[in-house]
Amino acid sequence: MAFLDNSGDIILDAVLTDTGRARLAKGDGTFRIAKFALGDDEINYENYNKNNPSGSAYYGLEILQTPILEAFTNNYASMNSKLVSIPRTNLLYLPEVILNEVYGGGGDKASSGTAMNADANAFYVAVDDTTNTTMALMSGIINGTDGSGGSYVRADQGLDTDEISPKRELESDLVETQYMFEIDSRLGEIISTDGNTLATISFIDDDSIASYYLSLGTDLKFVGEITADKPISDGAPGQVIRGPRGTKVQFKVQASLDLNTSTYLFTQLGSTITIDVPLPDSSTTATSFYYIDSNVRLTGVTTGNRLDIPLRFIKQI
Amino acid sequence: MATVFKNLLSSDIATTRTLLNEAIPITGTIISGTYGVQNIKNYAHGMFESVYDYPYLSSSANHIIDLTYGYAPEVSSSAYVQNDKKVNIYNQMSQVLVGYSPAGQIRQFDQDGSFTGGTKHKECVFVNYARLLTKDEIKKGSYSLVVNSGSSQVTVSDYGAQNEYRVNSPSGEYGILYTSSLAAAGTGVGLLYYQAGIAVLTSSVGIFSGSSPAWDPSEWKSTYQISGAADCVRQVWENNNFNNTTELNSTIYFCRVNNNEFNYSSNPTYLSGSKIATKNVSSDPSVSYITTVGLYSADNELLAVAKLSEPLRKDQTNELTLRVRLDY
Repeated sequence: MAFLDNSGDIILDAVLTDTGRARLAKGDGTFRIAKFALGDDEINYENYNKNNPSGSAYYGLEILQTPILEAFTNNYASMNSKLVSIPRTNLLYLPEVILNEVYGGGGDKASSGTAMNADANAFYVAVDDTTNTTMALMSGIINGTDGSGGSYVRADQGLDTDEISPKRELESDLVETQYMFEIDSRLGEIISTDGNTLATISFIDDDSIASYYLSLGTDLKFVGEITADKPISDGAPGQVIRGPRGTKVQFKVQASLDLNTSTYLFTQLGSTITIDVPLPDSSTTATSFYYIDSNVRLTGVTTGNRLDIPLRFIKQI
Repeated sequence: MATVFKNLLSSDIATTRTLLNEAIPITGTIISGTYGVQNIKNYAHGMFESVYDYPYLSSSANHIIDLTYGYAPEVSSSAYVQNDKKVNIYNQMSQVLVGYSPAGQIRQFDQDGSFTGGTKHKECVFVNYARLLTKDEIKKGSYSLVVNSGSSQVTVSDYGAQNEYRVNSPSGEYGILYTSSLAAAGTGVGLLYYQAGIAVLTSSVGIFSGSSPAWDPSEWKSTYQISGAADCVRQVWENNNFNNTTELNSTIYFCRVNNNEFNYSSNPTYLSGSKIATKNVSSDPSVSYITTVGLYSADNELLAVAKLSEPLRKDQTNELTLRVRLDY
């Protein structure tokens, strides 16, 4: 996409997204614009110079000179960071969503760890039993066959700062109560950490991205308050949010039937890799796998916080 | 309660219709064959001839007009070349553009558009413009076609059509083509169908008479094939101009941003250790910058996106109304 001409008056370049066009084409009344949000994808707030010698009017000078790209028609590529309305104007800290890799025994598969695989810097999703068995002694492996055992993903929300004690409660209007999960539905779906409950898909868009909306108090297996297992003291194990804590999200990914039974998508979207797989006698054996790199996007619906969690779907050749 | 969406009220949505005009020049060099005959396409069936703006075998070529010729059944003769096809063309165009009498008979093109008697155009050249050029319709009163008629030039135009046109066609509105701006009754040389994008020119009188020593329009019906008549028209085509019209139906969404809304961001660079990057102390103004407006369905699907050409600063001291127009 080109940049928009910013030499004259401010103009607004509007397009329908691919999803918008698809809904319009359906003609079933689902194309109905009901709300709006504002985004600032191109803005780098690190360019906000609070020490500009010319005064506060010039703090945002560099930001205001940011060239803006034309609108993307892909709905997944637009509005990645949204502006947030909070009536209070005196906030100095805002909550974040952070991947928790230290909870529940770290990366040990047998102890249901939450750490990613350190070599891949992603969670491995073993798409069939053979792969799951082969990788049994590796860390960061999610059992993508049925979700039983293995690692899982956990993300925590709160104020990640040493400036405020975690003993303080996170103010209620900053607690995230609903999360949106987005995952490529061709590859996998969201399942609870006990492997018994598949999350309900809200919709699948034209790019095969499935969206799930999971809420505090409703989807108990996926969203909960950190309070219940929140160690009060600073430096308590299993926590990554250094300050006041809000809610947590935990889930696994179940591989799609296509990945489970076929290599078609692996050859279309992925590649092959050889991994030194650990054996019980502490030796390793070089084993070849198909893999597809993807991610799960986790977005706080009320606060707009976003976290992309890397996944590597893997199948033994 | 924090939120990233704001609902649009019914008073925030307005609809409007805009007519957009473009000037379309079709020069004689294209029509008469700038590229030799490479931009002229003839068909085995011989019913019409297509003209492109570039050699038609190229994927860059755009189809611009089709030319054909026909006459009424009472003009026909079995001795004439392509007699049946010429009659069929005339009848087809009459069916579509003029319609039927109450008795179910195909009407003929009428010189003044009245079906109560009067002169009929019985031998006609049909200029069918591609929708690429005419879009929704040809703008009334904007059409002119200049042809070389012998040593002089004749301008055919829908003079005064913006104020006087006919509506008794099954294919929409049409105007009468004249060779003089006086537009005197009974002097029409053709009809121009605005929505259909078709010009009907009589070949029996006026404009093509004596156009070239090499051929005589009166012989088109008897000795010329349809493509031959179309070639003759192309050779005398000097210039053609009109304005097309595109009807834009728009919905305007007024995205009203109050002073206490959208002053924070979920941009990853907005926070450093959960601390807001634009503030030193909590009493500093909350500043954010708007680059994008996203329009969503009730179930939070992004249906449309609008980008500002430059970032807009938003803090608690200002309010904005962003007017997003979607055209259909």
